[in-house]
Amino acid sequence: MNKSRVFKVASGLGVAAMLLATSLTSAATSSAAAKPSWCGPKKITMALTDGFGGNSWRLVTTASAQDEVKLCPSVSKLYYADGQGNVSKAIADVKGFVAKGVNAVVVFPDAGQAMLPTLRAAYKAGVVTVPYRVFPGGKDGVDYTAFIGTDFKQAGINWANWALKNLPKGGNVLFLSGPAGNSQGIDEAAGFWATMKSHPEFKKIGAQPFEVTNWDPALSQQVLTAAIAANPKIDLILSDFGPSLVGALSAAVKTGWKVPALAASDGNSLGCFWTDNKATQPDFKLYTVSTQNDHARLAIDYAVAKATGGTLPGKVYPSLAFEDSVSGKPNPVQCRKDLSPNIYLSAKLTGAQQVALGIK
Amino acid sequence: MSTTEISREMKKSSHVQISRGMKTVLSATVVLFIASHFIAPSSTSKGAVLGMLPFAAVLAIIGLGQTLVVQQGGIDLSVAGSVSLAVVFVTRLPLEHNDRLWRAVVVAVFAAIVAGIINGILISLIGINAIVATLGMSSLQYAVIMAISQGSPRQTTQLLLHIMSNLTFGIPRAVYYAIATTIVVTVLLKMGVGGRRFEAVGANPRAGRAIGLKVKQTQISAYVLAQLLYCLGGIVLAGILAQPTAYQGDSLVLPSVTIVVLGGTSLLGGRGFPAATAVAALFLQQLNQMVLALSVPFGVRTLVTATALLVGIALYTIKWNVVRDKFSELTGKKKSSTLANA
Repeated sequence: MNKSRVFKVASGLGVAAMLLATSLTSAATSSAAAKPSWCGPKKITMALTDGFGGNSWRLVTTASAQDEVKLCPSVSKLYYADGQGNVSKAIADVKGFVAKGVNAVVVFPDAGQAMLPTLRAAYKAGVVTVPYRVFPGGKDGVDYTAFIGTDFKQAGINWANWALKNLPKGGNVLFLSGPAGNSQGIDEAAGFWATMKSHPEFKKIGAQPFEVTNWDPALSQQVLTAAIAANPKIDLILSDFGPSLVGALSAAVKTGWKVPALAASDGNSLGCFWTDNKATQPDFKLYTVSTQNDHARLAIDYAVAKATGGTLPGKVYPSLAFEDSVSGKPNPVQCRKDLSPNIYLSAKLTGAQQVALGIK
Repeated sequence: MSTTEISREMKKSSHVQISRGMKTVLSATVVLFIASHFIAPSSTSKGAVLGMLPFAAVLAIIGLGQTLVVQQGGIDLSVAGSVSLAVVFVTRLPLEHNDRLWRAVVVAVFAAIVAGIINGILISLIGINAIVATLGMSSLQYAVIMAISQGSPRQTTQLLLHIMSNLTFGIPRAVYYAIATTIVVTVLLKMGVGGRRFEAVGANPRAGRAIGLKVKQTQISAYVLAQLLYCLGGIVLAGILAQPTAYQGDSLVLPSVTIVVLGGTSLLGGRGFPAATAVAALFLQQLNQMVLALSVPFGVRTLVTATALLVGIALYTIKWNVVRDKFSELTGKKKSSTLANA
């Protein structure tokens, strides 16, 4: 090898090393700058498990959790498993991760109480165990590290306050929720009617505390048809999974029915339904609370803080208003026709990022 | 069933006659509508009936498929997967583009034929129990559904909505499709030699084989035709729901079996009554609508289909004279033993 060639290779290597060093330092500084308070110094591995991961809401929620973990360099690995709606698989998933030796596990316990023994076993084995969103029974510090819930009552209160402002004469209120007895629907109904206690002008119609729809479009359509037939006057519809109602509403509109005010949770398809119908439906006012994909972020923050020695965040994810077609605050109704109808614009992940997850 | 019984059965069905099942389910439906009018008037209002009919139509089409399988002594649990898969194909593949709809329909039909052939081979040639084979098929179909859709729904194309949901002469179009399908299936089963052979094989495959019928081909054809009907039901359903989920077939398995039984087709196989099945679909859907209008607790609502199924089995499948004979035999024995003790 001649001298000039040696020089070229050496200088090339030098430049490469310098570039590498610069990029490493910049990565280090950026991660140090962005390192949140919940991210402590201890190195850990952790796992995230879902009871049922097969819809767009779950896809966005899971991706939000994964996005959140990236903010903390102390987490060297995040495993994920989907119970696919099968309780025994969901249990085996948690047990498997505990056996693998993860330091923390964040669980969406769809099966509720059925998951409690598994959560307790994980907690007793010394793993930071954080169930979120669906209450599995049990107590913080006894059966698991902490339950990260959300205040569904607050969603009901938000709906009620909006209704008081926008329907001054009151009216008949129909509430459509998911499966029979689901705690989310019960809490939302409780929050709504507690606020309406001194407002007898608002009246309950349909089954109580809510009409059961299983969040299934076909059942929603049948339930709404029956409710419309039984109640010629519906002034306000409450729905805790707004997008699942879009099909039923479109079918009802075809029969000449006028859409009343609607208080729900957000979704791109619902926002676009409002946008498409606002001109012909004068009574159709829309208010949404955030569908809370970012609830998973708080659960991750809590688990990571506990396992790495960071600062613990709060244990309750807030219910936040998202769209209001009347006041435009905090946001006017959002509709992104260029993106999938199945995305959630209230999430921190942008619409484009959600589409990149494969949501079409 | 002996060969003479088979020929008697075949003779009986050699001309179209109103079956016992049809008489029962038809009168029950008329009584139900009158009862609904008085107990829950809102369930017979124009809006409620127009809302109920498309779902009854879908159930009828799917029930026709289930009838064919039950006639062959089988039961098809792949209704869930098949219907969901058809819904996913015709909503996910076109992604709201009307011009891509037909291609999606072709794919859905092709998938249905493949699923039917696999079901038929597993059950008829290999001899796997129908419940196990079709349950496995349903899981397989769900795997395809997840691969295509990741479980998230998609809006139906405007063209499909237009074809399925609009009204013609004031009646939802889905109803016409259900009536047409019922006529086609009835003609196939009741008017031709093929239909008669189909019933004979269902009633007794061994006897069928003995008289030279192509038993295995007949059984496989039942599963293929059933899949095609589920596929059609799924496509109609996708057109009724503006934004169906990826699991739309889940809630149709039990109702599909229930209406077959209510229509008078025996779960033991043999003769089938497609028209009665279709009327039973109307009966069951109106029953649900009435219960819905009454705002009864959800627990009661879920019991309705199960009760209807039990009533159907009690009416047609159980041979009450045999039960009565057995019972009197038992009590007679008891009496005689009490006498002996005395």
